Amino acid sequence: MVSWLTPHIGTQLVDLGSALLLLTCFAIIAQRRLSACVDLFALQSLFLAMTAALVAFLTGTPHIYYAAALTVLVKVIVIPRVLKRVIERLNVTRELVMNINVPASLLICGALVMIAFFITQPIIPFGHLLTRDSLAIALAIVLIGFFTMIARQKAVTQMIAFLVMENGLFLGATAATYGMPLIVELGVFFDVLVAALIAGIYTNRLQDAFDSVDTNRLSELKE
Amino acid sequence: MTKEQAILQAIVLTLAQAFVLLTVSPAIVGLVRKVKARFQCRRGASVFQPYADLAKLFRKQPVVSTTTSWIFTATPYILFASTLTAGLLVPAFASQMPLNFAGNIIALVYLFALGTFFLILAGLDAGSPFGGMGSSREAIVASLTEPAMIMSIFAIALTTGSTNLSTIVHKTALLEGIVTDPSPHLMALAALFIVALAETGRVPVDNPATHLELTMIHEAMLLEYSGRYLALLEWASGMKLLVFLSLIANVFAPWGIATTLTPMALSIGLAVYLVKVASLAVVIGTMECMFAKLRLFRVTDLLGVAFILALLGLLFFYILRG
Amino acid sequence: MIVNYMTIAVSLLLLPPLVAGGLSLLITSSRRLHLTNLTSIGTLIAAEAAITRTVLAQGSVTAFGEIVYIDALSSVILFIIGTVGLACSLYMRSYMDEQVAQGVIEANRLNLFFFLFHMFILAMVVATIANSLGVQWVAIEATTLATTFLIAFWRRRESLEAGWKYLILCSVGISLALFGVVLMYYSSLRVLGDVSSALNITQLQQVADQLDPHILKLAFVFLFVGYGTKVGLVPMHSWLPDAYTEAPAPVAAMLAGVLETVAVYAILRSRGIVDQAVSPEFTGGLLALFGLLSFALAAFFILLQHNYKRLFAYSSIEHMGLAMIGFGVGGPIGNFGGLFHLVNHAFAKSLAFFAAGNIHRRFKTVEIDQVHGLITVLPWSALALIVAGLALAALPPFALFASEMQIITALGTSGAPGEWFQSGPRIPVVILLFCSLVAFAGFLARITGMVWGEAPKDIPQGEQWTVGHIPIILLGAVLVGFCWALPTPFRQLLDTASAMLVNR
Repeated sequence: MVSWLTPHIGTQLVDLGSALLLLTCFAIIAQRRLSACVDLFALQSLFLAMTAALVAFLTGTPHIYYAAALTVLVKVIVIPRVLKRVIERLNVTRELVMNINVPASLLICGALVMIAFFITQPIIPFGHLLTRDSLAIALAIVLIGFFTMIARQKAVTQMIAFLVMENGLFLGATAATYGMPLIVELGVFFDVLVAALIAGIYTNRLQDAFDSVDTNRLSELKE
Repeated sequence: MTKEQAILQAIVLTLAQAFVLLTVSPAIVGLVRKVKARFQCRRGASVFQPYADLAKLFRKQPVVSTTTSWIFTATPYILFASTLTAGLLVPAFASQMPLNFAGNIIALVYLFALGTFFLILAGLDAGSPFGGMGSSREAIVASLTEPAMIMSIFAIALTTGSTNLSTIVHKTALLEGIVTDPSPHLMALAALFIVALAETGRVPVDNPATHLELTMIHEAMLLEYSGRYLALLEWASGMKLLVFLSLIANVFAPWGIATTLTPMALSIGLAVYLVKVASLAVVIGTMECMFAKLRLFRVTDLLGVAFILALLGLLFFYILRG
Repeated sequence: MIVNYMTIAVSLLLLPPLVAGGLSLLITSSRRLHLTNLTSIGTLIAAEAAITRTVLAQGSVTAFGEIVYIDALSSVILFIIGTVGLACSLYMRSYMDEQVAQGVIEANRLNLFFFLFHMFILAMVVATIANSLGVQWVAIEATTLATTFLIAFWRRRESLEAGWKYLILCSVGISLALFGVVLMYYSSLRVLGDVSSALNITQLQQVADQLDPHILKLAFVFLFVGYGTKVGLVPMHSWLPDAYTEAPAPVAAMLAGVLETVAVYAILRSRGIVDQAVSPEFTGGLLALFGLLSFALAAFFILLQHNYKRLFAYSSIEHMGLAMIGFGVGGPIGNFGGLFHLVNHAFAKSLAFFAAGNIHRRFKTVEIDQVHGLITVLPWSALALIVAGLALAALPPFALFASEMQIITALGTSGAPGEWFQSGPRIPVVILLFCSLVAFAGFLARITGMVWGEAPKDIPQGEQWTVGHIPIILLGAVLVGFCWALPTPFRQLLDTASAMLVNR
């Protein structure tokens, strides 16, 4: 390890990476343009890969490098490209009406961050010193992704919210346990990729059938 | 050092800082305009053009509408004085300034608020619809930026244990056990940057170069002014920009500032200060070219984001400390 | 890796769906597609039977190093997958051909259907036999991905809506379960050290009492909410009625009977590990609470239904809730009742959806009000509908009555787990009985309305005997038979499995 990279500074850098991830979450929920959401998601995945690589470097766990590389490949390059193509084909760019408006969503997300910290308080002292707080931030990102899914209408945004949840989970896995066993990581990536592709196909079909991808229009099935 | 020498030194330093504020602020405004012009592939006016503009305005005779009250003529002086005083509270090139004792964040915020308050009233005073419109918009923006600004500086104040700006800057510059975690600082910086853009009337909140009255916020309140009043108001708004840039530069990255009052440290401090605010001005100019102005009710979203970021900064301070 | 009898048997669990899936993309004739399907399921059942015999003799089986772990509980689930899979495959033999003949599905889409069907079965088998909780998670998410297009297979607007809701809700739920898996790994790493086998069920079972209770409690809550979404427990059930209504009948049968059971299995596995460190009342109370909630809510929704497929969907929620209560209460009777109920429900629900599929094909509508005189139009399906309906309403002489009685007995004697239920056992039992009466009333009213009465004039009458009717008869017979007597090996299997659940 480099001499100035003491464990103390290492912890701060990992915290910084996690904070940047959380920042991009808030940026996604404050966005009104779909293509900006996709770009922010790609940026978030990039920060995630960098944080994971940093953890790998600081702890000497090489298999996290593979996961970080996979993150870059799948979530920074492939999935945003798929989503961008979907957005182009659908010709929707704006989120015209939101279920919950931006300032209220932001306040609720702030509250969710606090709830996440509160929930993980009892288990944080057990963690590795390097990445303790990242577990709380990871849960916060999962909750914010979950909330985004409820608060936004467009099918593409719901997909992005799901992918944000997966990012949070990956951060949690890296932070809490220095990554899952490699086969599980591979499986998760595969699932996420296939889910994104399926969602892309779905939005095309939804567009054909409903002439819109507004999930508020998906209300024909009732009790 | 005897008491008389100390008082003399205090007066000299305060006057020096006031002098720096007064002389550098038009240059900063000019620098921002120059950067924008370059990005727009124009040559643009010289960086020192604002000085010529101020000189021109001071020579002209002001025209005052007969329907105005004393507020109209008093506001330029009040705004100028309050902005200058606020500027004296923020450490510029030296961290231990004589007006230390009053250098509280809350004093800073309320000095700015004082100036804004009078400017809003002055906009209404002439009775023109554009002035009234500008005033109401400015009131919206000001009421939303205030909590964000206080929160973000509190997030920093918590790490150093004091709301006194001099203490914050001094301690951070000396690295006295504060750099524990960059995350609260990051959030607070993002929040303060957005607040700075909003308070100084820059894109994406307000376009300072617009001629269309319906898109103005700050400029609309100045529409009725002319001559030396306009000069004072323009100078004050330039100083406000400079003060915000100094705040951001010196609270988050104060290294290079003069922590002792030797001539060597002071000159280095001054040079570093100029470099910092100049680079921040370039950043602002670049950002003005990257984004479009937001519609007014989207501005509330942006300021909401700033508030949440500041809140997160506070939260991170409490939680990431363990 | 020792290539022995067990390794071959386990490979025969995994290879047939994989190979059949690949072949399905290539084969063009529909007869061959069905043949491949039946062969693969048949091989699956044979392998399962062999493994079950070994499990009954040995206790548990691991293969391929420690990648695969099969014990009595997994065998029960494999049994359900195999038998219901076979029943659906036989049913599909006539169903798909008629759908193609009627022009509802284009012939070339059959390949996609079978490919997804095989991937679905493969994913479920992997979820059941995987030793690592992480791989189990990946497999369950894979089932969501495989079935989403099966649900939307008819490409109508409502199907797309149902499929999208299913994809999003289940994926979100399962992501929460992943957080639970991460927390489990977190707690086990502290005890086992940084080993790649720290998520293995075998390892976790050995060190379970050393794991930290706080982390495990949190992990179990996430796992329960996540996998509970797949099971269809209230309040995570909103995808279920739409998905089951819009899916083609064999797909709905597989989803309702088998997929929910596999999700329950995942919950039970995690519960087994968590219960050794945390008091069993915590997990038991959680299971019982959500079970009771699902049972009550679904019973009332059954009263409101006017769509027969949706009726069966809510019945699924109801019965899964009941099984959860059984597991939550615990003890030998509760666990046995719960497992038995899972098996019976799988059979009864498949029967119900087969009947529904036939009715839908003939009457072209899913509205209960528009279906009358079934006994003259489709006599065999009418019989199936009566049997399934009465079974699902938990009436004797059907097996569901037996399992429900066991669960209610367990609830009455040991009472609901104390941490969540402050009252005695009486109130939950009363609620349970009342809601089953409500459900019974709903079912009876609707089914009699459909079966008797005068048939509409424009519907062709008479039902031809096809291959698809074989499973209907067999399932009906089994449902009646199981109420009186269980074949000994099967009973032994259930006993062993429930003993494992109790001892944990």
